[in-house]
Amino acid sequence: MLELKNVTTEIAGTLILRDVTFSVEKGSMVGLIGRNGAGKTTSLRSIMGLLKPKSGQILINGTDMTKQGSFERAGMSIGYMPEDRRLVPDLTVEENIMAPAWACQLTSAEARLAWIYEMMPEVEAFSDRRALQLSGGQQKLVALARAMMTGTNLLLLDEPFEGVAPALSRRLASVLSTLKDEGLTVLLSESDQSHSADLVDEAFQIERGSVEPLASLT
Amino acid sequence: MKTKSLALLFILGLAILAGGLLLPQWMSYLFTIAMGKGLVVLGLVLLMRAGLVSFGQGLYYCVGAYVAGMLTQFAEVTDILLILLASISVSVVIAAIIGLLLCRYREIFFAMFSMAFSMILYGLLVRMQVLGSTDGFNVANPSLLGWAPGPEGASDLVLAVAVFLVVSLGILAWRYLNSLSGYAGEAVRENEIRLEYLGGSVFKVVYVKYIIAAALAAIGGTVTALVSGHVDPEMAYWTTSGEFVFIALMGGTAHVAAPIIAAVLFEALRTYAFAVAPYTWQMILGFALLAIILFMPSGLWSLVERFQNKKARKTT
Repeated sequence: MLELKNVTTEIAGTLILRDVTFSVEKGSMVGLIGRNGAGKTTSLRSIMGLLKPKSGQILINGTDMTKQGSFERAGMSIGYMPEDRRLVPDLTVEENIMAPAWACQLTSAEARLAWIYEMMPEVEAFSDRRALQLSGGQQKLVALARAMMTGTNLLLLDEPFEGVAPALSRRLASVLSTLKDEGLTVLLSESDQSHSADLVDEAFQIERGSVEPLASLT
Repeated sequence: MKTKSLALLFILGLAILAGGLLLPQWMSYLFTIAMGKGLVVLGLVLLMRAGLVSFGQGLYYCVGAYVAGMLTQFAEVTDILLILLASISVSVVIAAIIGLLLCRYREIFFAMFSMAFSMILYGLLVRMQVLGSTDGFNVANPSLLGWAPGPEGASDLVLAVAVFLVVSLGILAWRYLNSLSGYAGEAVRENEIRLEYLGGSVFKVVYVKYIIAAALAAIGGTVTALVSGHVDPEMAYWTTSGEFVFIALMGGTAHVAAPIIAAVLFEALRTYAFAVAPYTWQMILGFALLAIILFMPSGLWSLVERFQNKKARKTT
C-alpha cells in the first residue's frame, strides 16, 4: 500500500529524515512513535508531498509519489490530518468537511458525509457552527472528519491525540478502531503509545530521523 | 445571478453609456481611459485576492496597446473586434510563458519579478526605432464590422465598446469570483499547504489567475490606445504599473465594481489635482491615498459594506 524506500528529507539544509524505510500493509493501522523533533511530522509531510524528499522513493500502490504534485494525493483518495488542525475559521464545520470534496469534485460526497456523521454523531451536532467557535478537541474531530472525506484509500493522521481531553481522546480512539474494522489503511503518529497501543497492528519507532520497527509491541 | 439583477446591470450599462456620450468630449475621453484602466485593475484585483500583488501589469497593458497600434498602422486592420482578439491572444501567449516562471514566486519576489518583465519590454521598445523609440507612434481610428465612424465618432465607438466590455467582463469576473476556482484564490492567500492537501493545485489556481489578469490588462491597453490615438513605451514603465496598484488599493478588493469605480475617481482626482496644482499634483494624490489607507484600509468599497451592514442590522 504505502512504502518508503531510503527517504532522506532536509529542511533548510538540516537533515531531518535519514534513510527512512518502512511500509504499511493494506487494511492495517500503523503507528509512528517518537519524541518531539524526531521527525514524525516531517515523515507525514514527505508522504503528502508537502516537503520534497532529497532522495529515496515513496510508493503508494506502486506509484512513485515523489514525482506527483501534492494536490494529486487527495484525488487518489488519500486523507491527511495535519497536527495543527488548520480548519478554515470562517466556514462552518460542514463546509470544512466538504472542502476537499469540492476541490476534488467528488460525486459521492453526500453519501460520504452521511457515513462520517454516522461515525461521529457529535460532529453532526455542531455541523452548522463556524470552525472558530469550536474548542481545540472539537476541531481535531472535524479535521479527522475532513481527512475521512477523501481518505478512503489511506489516512495519514499527525498526532491525532495531541492536546485532546481524555474523554475526547477515548472517543477518537473508538472512531479510529471503527475505521480499522471498516478496512481503512491508517498511518498515525504519536509521541508515546499511551493511546494507540491497543489500536495499531504494527508500530515503528522514529528517533533522530531514523525509523526502526518497535520491538516491544505486545 | 438572477435575471432581475442582470436586467438592472444592463440598464445601468446603457445609462453609463448614454451619460458618457452626453459628456463633453474631454470628459468622455477621460471616462474611456478610466474604463480601460478599470479593466486592468480588475485583473490585478483577481491576483490580489490570491495574495499576489503584481507591479508589472504595465507589461500586458503596453502589449495590448502596441498590438492595437501596430495592427492599425502596419497591417491596416482597424476592426476593433479583431484588434481586441489579437491583443488578448498575444498577451495570453506571453503570460502563459512568463507565468510558468512567475507563478512559483510569492510576495515581494512576485511583485519585483513581474516589474522586471515589464521593464524589459520598456527597454526593448525604447531601443526600437521602427516603433518610434521613446516617442511611440500614432494609432489610426478604429472601425466596427466595416463601419468606420471617422475621427469624430471613433472615440464614441471606443467608449461604447469599453462600457460594453466593462459591464460584460465585470459580470463574468463576478461569476468567476463566486465559483469554486474563484474561492480557490482566497484559499491560496490564506494557506497554500492546506489547499494542496485538500486536493487543489496552488500552481494551477495562480497560473489561471495570472493569465486572466494579463488578458484584462491587454484589453485595457487596447481601449486606451484606441481612444488616445497614441502609444508609447511609458505604458510599460513601472510607474504605470504602480498607478494600477494605487487604484486597486483605492477601490479595495471586496467587489468587482470597486476597481472600476476607483479608476473613474482616480482619473477625476488626477485631472482636478493637475488643474489645481500643476506642479504639486502628485502630492494631492499622495494625501488622498494616505487618507484612504488610514481611514478605509479595505478601500472605498468598505463604505458600501458599512452601508450594507447598517441596513442589515436595521432589518433584523
